[in-house]
Amino acid sequence: MDCSEESRMIIMEDSLDEDPAQAEKLKRTLTAHRHRRKKPLREAAGAPEPPPEEGSPASMAAAPPGAAHQAPRGLPPVPSASRTGFAEFSVRERMREKLKAARSKAESTLLQEDPSPRPRRLKSIREKKTEVRLDKESDKDEFREMQEDESHISSKVKFHDSAKKPKQKTSVQNDFPSAEETYKFFTFDFDSEAERVKAGIRKKNELNHEEEAEEEEDVETHEEGQEEDETDEDAHLVKDDDLFDLGQTAQDFLVVKPAECESYSEQLQREKEFLFIPSMQAVPASQKMPGNMQPRFLEDEGLYTGERPFVPPSNLNILENRILRQEQGKEWFGDDGKILALPNPIKQSLTRPPIFSLEEGIEPELETLYRKAIKVTAASQYLVGPGDFQGPFQLDIDISGLIFTHHPCFSREHVLAAKLAQLYDQYLARKQKNLTTLLTDKLHALRNAVQCSIDGGDAAVPKPVAQQSIPEYKIEIRQTRRLRDAEQEKDRTLLKTIIKVWKEMKSLRDFQKFTNTPMKLYLRKEEVDQRLDEKAYEAEIQDEINELLEECREEYEKKMEEYETELQEWKSWKKAQKSKKKKKKKDLREEEESVDDCDFGEEPVKPIPPKMVNSLEIEQQAREKADNLRRKPGEPVLIPELVLSGSITPSELCPRAEVLRREDVKKRSSFIKVLFNSKEVSRTVTRPISSDFRVHFGQIFNLQIFNWPESVKLQIYETVGISSTTLLAEVFIPIPETTVLTGSTPIEEIEFSSNQRVMLDHEGVGSGVSFSFEADGSNKMTLMTSGKVSNSVSWAVGEKGVPLIPPVSQQNTGIASALKNIDAIASIGTSGLTDMKKLAKWAAEAKLDPNDPNNAALMQLITVATSGEARVPDFFRLEQLQQEFNFVSDEELNRSKRFRLLQLRNAEVAEFRNYKPVPLHEREISEKLFQDYEKRLRERDVTDSKHYLDAHRAIVANYLQKVQESVINRFLVAKHHFLLSDLVNEEEIPSLGILGLSIFKLAEPKRPLKPRRKERKKVTAQNLSDGDIKLLVNIIRAYDIPVRKTVSKLQQPSRHSRPFNEMFAASPSAQSPGENIDWVFNQVLVRPFVEVSFQRTVCRTTTAEGPNPNWNEELELPFRAPNGDYSSHSLQSVKDEVFINLFDEVLYDIGEDDHERGSGIHTRVERHWLGCVKIPFTTIYFQARIDGTFKVDIPPVLLGYSKEKNLGNDRGYDSVRNLSEGSYITLFITIEPQLIPGESVREKFDTQEDEKLLQAAAKYEAECTSKFPSRQCLTTVVDLSGKSVFITRYIKPLNPPQELLDAHPNSSQTTAELVARYVALIPFLPDSVSFAGICDLWSTSDQFLDLLAGDEEEHAVLLCNYFLGMGKKAWLIIGNAIPEGATAYVLTLEQNQYAIWNPSTGCFYGQFDTFCPLQNVYCLISCDNIWFNIQEYDSPVRINFDISKPKLWKSFFSRSLPYPGFCSVQPEELIYQDSDKAAVAELQGRIEKILKEKIMDWRPRHLTRWNRYCTSTLRHFLPLLEQNQGKDVEDDHQAELQKQLGDYRVSGFPIHMPFSEVGPLVEAVRSTGVHTIDVSNVEFALAVYVHAYPQNVLSVWIYVASLVRNQ
Amino acid sequence: MAELHVIGQIVGASGFDESSLFCKWDIHAGSAWKLLAGRREGQTQVDDPQADDVAYWCHPIDVHFATKGLQGWPRLHLQVWHRDAFGRSALAGYGFCAVPARAGWHGVACGTWRPRGGPRQRLARRLLGGGPQLRRPGPALGAAERFRLRTEAAGTVHLQLAVLPRHFARYGVQS
Repeated sequence: MDCSEESRMIIMEDSLDEDPAQAEKLKRTLTAHRHRRKKPLREAAGAPEPPPEEGSPASMAAAPPGAAHQAPRGLPPVPSASRTGFAEFSVRERMREKLKAARSKAESTLLQEDPSPRPRRLKSIREKKTEVRLDKESDKDEFREMQEDESHISSKVKFHDSAKKPKQKTSVQNDFPSAEETYKFFTFDFDSEAERVKAGIRKKNELNHEEEAEEEEDVETHEEGQEEDETDEDAHLVKDDDLFDLGQTAQDFLVVKPAECESYSEQLQREKEFLFIPSMQAVPASQKMPGNMQPRFLEDEGLYTGERPFVPPSNLNILENRILRQEQGKEWFGDDGKILALPNPIKQSLTRPPIFSLEEGIEPELETLYRKAIKVTAASQYLVGPGDFQGPFQLDIDISGLIFTHHPCFSREHVLAAKLAQLYDQYLARKQKNLTTLLTDKLHALRNAVQCSIDGGDAAVPKPVAQQSIPEYKIEIRQTRRLRDAEQEKDRTLLKTIIKVWKEMKSLRDFQKFTNTPMKLYLRKEEVDQRLDEKAYEAEIQDEINELLEECREEYEKKMEEYETELQEWKSWKKAQKSKKKKKKKDLREEEESVDDCDFGEEPVKPIPPKMVNSLEIEQQAREKADNLRRKPGEPVLIPELVLSGSITPSELCPRAEVLRREDVKKRSSFIKVLFNSKEVSRTVTRPISSDFRVHFGQIFNLQIFNWPESVKLQIYETVGISSTTLLAEVFIPIPETTVLTGSTPIEEIEFSSNQRVMLDHEGVGSGVSFSFEADGSNKMTLMTSGKVSNSVSWAVGEKGVPLIPPVSQQNTGIASALKNIDAIASIGTSGLTDMKKLAKWAAEAKLDPNDPNNAALMQLITVATSGEARVPDFFRLEQLQQEFNFVSDEELNRSKRFRLLQLRNAEVAEFRNYKPVPLHEREISEKLFQDYEKRLRERDVTDSKHYLDAHRAIVANYLQKVQESVINRFLVAKHHFLLSDLVNEEEIPSLGILGLSIFKLAEPKRPLKPRRKERKKVTAQNLSDGDIKLLVNIIRAYDIPVRKTVSKLQQPSRHSRPFNEMFAASPSAQSPGENIDWVFNQVLVRPFVEVSFQRTVCRTTTAEGPNPNWNEELELPFRAPNGDYSSHSLQSVKDEVFINLFDEVLYDIGEDDHERGSGIHTRVERHWLGCVKIPFTTIYFQARIDGTFKVDIPPVLLGYSKEKNLGNDRGYDSVRNLSEGSYITLFITIEPQLIPGESVREKFDTQEDEKLLQAAAKYEAECTSKFPSRQCLTTVVDLSGKSVFITRYIKPLNPPQELLDAHPNSSQTTAELVARYVALIPFLPDSVSFAGICDLWSTSDQFLDLLAGDEEEHAVLLCNYFLGMGKKAWLIIGNAIPEGATAYVLTLEQNQYAIWNPSTGCFYGQFDTFCPLQNVYCLISCDNIWFNIQEYDSPVRINFDISKPKLWKSFFSRSLPYPGFCSVQPEELIYQDSDKAAVAELQGRIEKILKEKIMDWRPRHLTRWNRYCTSTLRHFLPLLEQNQGKDVEDDHQAELQKQLGDYRVSGFPIHMPFSEVGPLVEAVRSTGVHTIDVSNVEFALAVYVHAYPQNVLSVWIYVASLVRNQ
Repeated sequence: MAELHVIGQIVGASGFDESSLFCKWDIHAGSAWKLLAGRREGQTQVDDPQADDVAYWCHPIDVHFATKGLQGWPRLHLQVWHRDAFGRSALAGYGFCAVPARAGWHGVACGTWRPRGGPRQRLARRLLGGGPQLRRPGPALGAAERFRLRTEAAGTVHLQLAVLPRHFARYGVQS
């Protein structure tokens, strides 16, 4: 386009210059030019962006047209910036341009008229442009004028063109309406144009030509516009152009030429001009080296250069030649004239793994194992832990034998022989090492080396180097010589000692005239060549003398130097001294002396010049030494040889002492025990000690182990004769490294010695006893039994060559997770480390080439080691770079409170188990949160006796806590095992039958008067929150409440405990009605009300009247779960109890004076506690509802109240009720909404029971429960260690404390009651509370007595055992009672009557007692059988307890399964410790003090006065109560109190409790509300009595009373 | 002190030859990782699909890690087991996949494989059940030389994991 434009301009010029006749030609050129333009335009068409141009002004606008082309709406071309270049143009040029522009414009308009493929679009563009560019239009017009004025050439051309174009078109594109088009062209368009032109002229006249630049611009822009159009149109008209071109006469454009052909040679020639082909000739080294340097070969200089990668030499030459041509090409060459290259990077070894082959061994961790498809047992196996069972590992211990180096039975000769053998061994060892020869050789070599370097013949080693090494050599020589001399001396002395010992032995043999040992020493002489030897000897001495001389000379020189310097110093000092002296002499003569004195002390000693050593002296020295150390020249070489070929004198020829000794030896034998982890695992056979005191075992023990051994120990035993076995010594064997495998280990000898002292009466020297070889007994020596065990310990190799080594880390498996985070050093140890310093030293000495990559690792190690403080890590780290990339340190991570909280919660630690919201931010977690937990951790092992008042109980509490924790942890794990039903909740599709039934139900008649019980909807625990749950307590009525009594002088005869007979007979009491008649009329009202307190909420009923009130009120108490967690296991662990307290409301008239009394009533309400019922929440939770009549726990003595016997209105019902003393209350308690109690944990326990028995038990249970699903059948229970135990093992006759048996020797019934009371006194601790959500744990009776806490089962088992021990017939009843729920009672057979004992209270009931709390009986258990109740009813009143009837009782052991005779889990006998009386007395005092303080605390606004007199009376009275077990003392006591405290109104009562902790006592006192009385002049009395029963069972009596003085 | 909370489920498995599959899983993490809450291993129930060959377990995964470093990003190790008509179980495939590092919800498909064994073993597997298993699956899943093991492809285990990283940005880790 660029060039076309130019060419066009040229053509224009031409056309301007030439005459119009040339128009034809012009036209032709134009078309040619077009033709040429076609090409770029096509390109433009292809790519919408026209090619950019530079330089020519016309082309500047090329981009906008492109844009316009792209976006057909057409952006107005922006006028380009002012072009200064144009100023230079002449007017003519400008005109020419204008002309050109005009022409092109005309062309374009022509083209515009053409029916282009998209005429409409083009038109729109045009129109837009014309509208926008009005001024430009005017310019156009202006130039048109000029055009018209000046010449018509262009117009002619234009018209020609326009005329021609349609023509062409028609010629090619047939049937085109050209006529119409032309018409349009000539008429319509041009007219409008002309019109516009006219308008433009009018405007233009004002503007005129003056503004040249503007015009220019305009023209230019116009031109641009033109061009734009042109290109635009042309783009679309390419086809036309083609056609147009073809349409022209061919000869005008085409020239026929022959095909051009370049010959190959020509081509080569041409190529040679610009191609360079480097030659393949080798480049001479001189060209490659800068200047005229000689090439230097580093490798020859001993430096490591590395192997170059292989390149064919021709290629290398080419490269070199090429490089040399280059600028600074020489830089590419190294010192050796070769191209610089890195060493060959190709590794020698294959890095790509070899192709898989089956023969090759597979990595152990990738080993596969064909496993058969197996049924997985119920024990779920998670991925946790090692993938599979890591079989037993094996440690092989090979004990080959035992050699005694000293034994008590050694004779003197043996001692010497042992010594000789030892020396000989030493000799052999030395000989093998042969240090002397080695050092001598070295010495020779060094001497030679020095000689060589001094001679300096070698040109190879530069002189300075050699010079430098000479002193080094010399020092080396000296050292070596010294070493050699020492070794020589040792050799010689050893030889001498051997000979000496041998001589001694020989003399001993001669002396004793028999031989005991087969030892013989031969000394072989090796003759040497006298002459050579002498020569060598002399040469050696000469060498030595020379060296010594040299040494001495050096030393002398050194000393001389020192001397010189010292002398110099001394002289100068002397001079100074002299001058000083002179001065002094002048000055002070008299002081001279003293000055002299003091100077004298400092005067240095005049140095003594060193002596030059005499060479003769040295020679003398050297010769002497040689004489001492070395073999003399010509002396034969002595080689000792120890053989065991000597004959031992047979026993017959020996003296008696020796014979005895030999016999003694024969009697002795020894064996070795192998102890693994200090446990004996095996022992060798007992082998006799042979006469040479060697024992051969030759046994290999294969120890199959699971864990990394802690220790392996051998114990050496000696047996004398048959009887005595003595332990000689213990030897610890090092546990072999993991690399030590069986088959490759040498036998090692481990020495041992024993400090045993043995004296023998025969020839044997004994051990630890001094003896002497000399006849006079001098030179005594004492030897200890000692010896060597030869053994080897190694790891066995399993099949396939896998060593059976336990993983080292296994020793930590228990706490592996904790240890993992600790440093690796802990598990690996530092044993693998080498001494870096030594290594570095060696590397420096060995002059390793630091550049050699083979040494790289070593060098790096050394640089690390030697670079000062940059220490080598002294451990091996498993996870490298972990530390470097850590975000935070471990400490910080562990400090995070949030993480800790999350973890603790996840671990279900008690304090955080149900902690729901964990704050998101650290700062929101207060430090306090952990305080309790940390405190508990801290105090876990510290027994806090303050809370428990009794050390034993504190320990027990701690123990319980621990048992509880461990059990809970076990069960927490079990809790996460889910069954299908836990996860998948599928509702059954109602069957047709059910649907039908419900349809029938719809049709049933409505009976509003017969309400149906609707099942309450049960609520699952998770969607509950505070306030949702309410406890509903319906108090219906009470019976037989004690009534007030005014001060009465009437004495009731004291009732004595009724015999069993009376109770069972259900006969009315023996009290005479006559006595009670007064009571009927004198009856004083009692106004009872009930107060229910639960979780600090208190509700009360209205006050009713009379001893048999009827309230029928419903109380509603909110329930709040701990931590707001309503999950079932949390609810199970709620320890709160519902207290139902019975009070009497008393109104006192407190009108002070009479006149007030007339006008108003002024009374005070007092409430007097009468009794209470406690029901634990868990019972309500498990039972869902509690409905029944409960005995109110009424204190034995209620001051001011008496138990009313309503005999006056005696009715049938009452008569039954009256049988049991006490008051009763009827209650109905439930929870709204009903909660689903949690299921007990399904866990299979370990057991030691027989599998068959367990199967039978399961079968039995299944049978029973299928028949009576509501009845619980118990066959196995869980003991404290978590194992299943068959239940009958718990029942065994046991002895009750003797003290109790002795108390009432003649009445079995009283004794039984006393025993029951004793059992009841053991504190009650329900394990469903402590082991929340967990089945019962049964402790044995001794455990129970040790723990002093347990629930119903333990109490029942103990009581049952006691009864059996007392000779009664007793069974354990598994049943259901109120309020406990599922429980255990005891059944006894007393005089053909069955009695049911409540073990928790100590009460007993007849079988037909209506108020017996036991409601249902499920099974009976004796020590040898279980009977399940298969009767229709299970209420004790309605069943028959005769277990011999198989129709009523289904027994576990029957004829088909006879009782196999179990051993019991109970101890043989219970041993009771006597309680510590002093401790009990102290406890009593402390309880009293605490309670008094508490009462004062509870009355913060009142003065609490203590009535000492009353207190002492009460205290005096309490033991009596204990003695009578709270019965029958009431009236005596009351009378007594009244007598003593005449005008006081006393209300109070004793509370009796078993003692476990102080807390419950305080709570009990508080619940009575004695302290609430707020009469101003009230006084209090409180007395505590603790009675101790054996085994620290304590019965606590608390007597609380309030006294108000009667006015 | 960064935290990573992974909540999700093992949706199921598809493409196994066998039906009635169950899956044992565990999450391995480096020593820098500390488990704050949740269980890091478990086992699903057996699903015996009747309609198509996808076994659905929908087994929940909910683990909460705290970490002091990036090394040892948690990985899931899966073992798919097959329980046959006789109630015996045999290995159907091993698989492991990293817990996604980007925050958000991810559907992860974990391809599984099982050791191929020799011809005899293969025959035994076809006829008798059982099959070659890794002696120590734990280390093998991380072993570098795993290419030595001849395996065959088993099906795919599908997981849906929601990853909640926390405070990683504080230590310059973008997630």
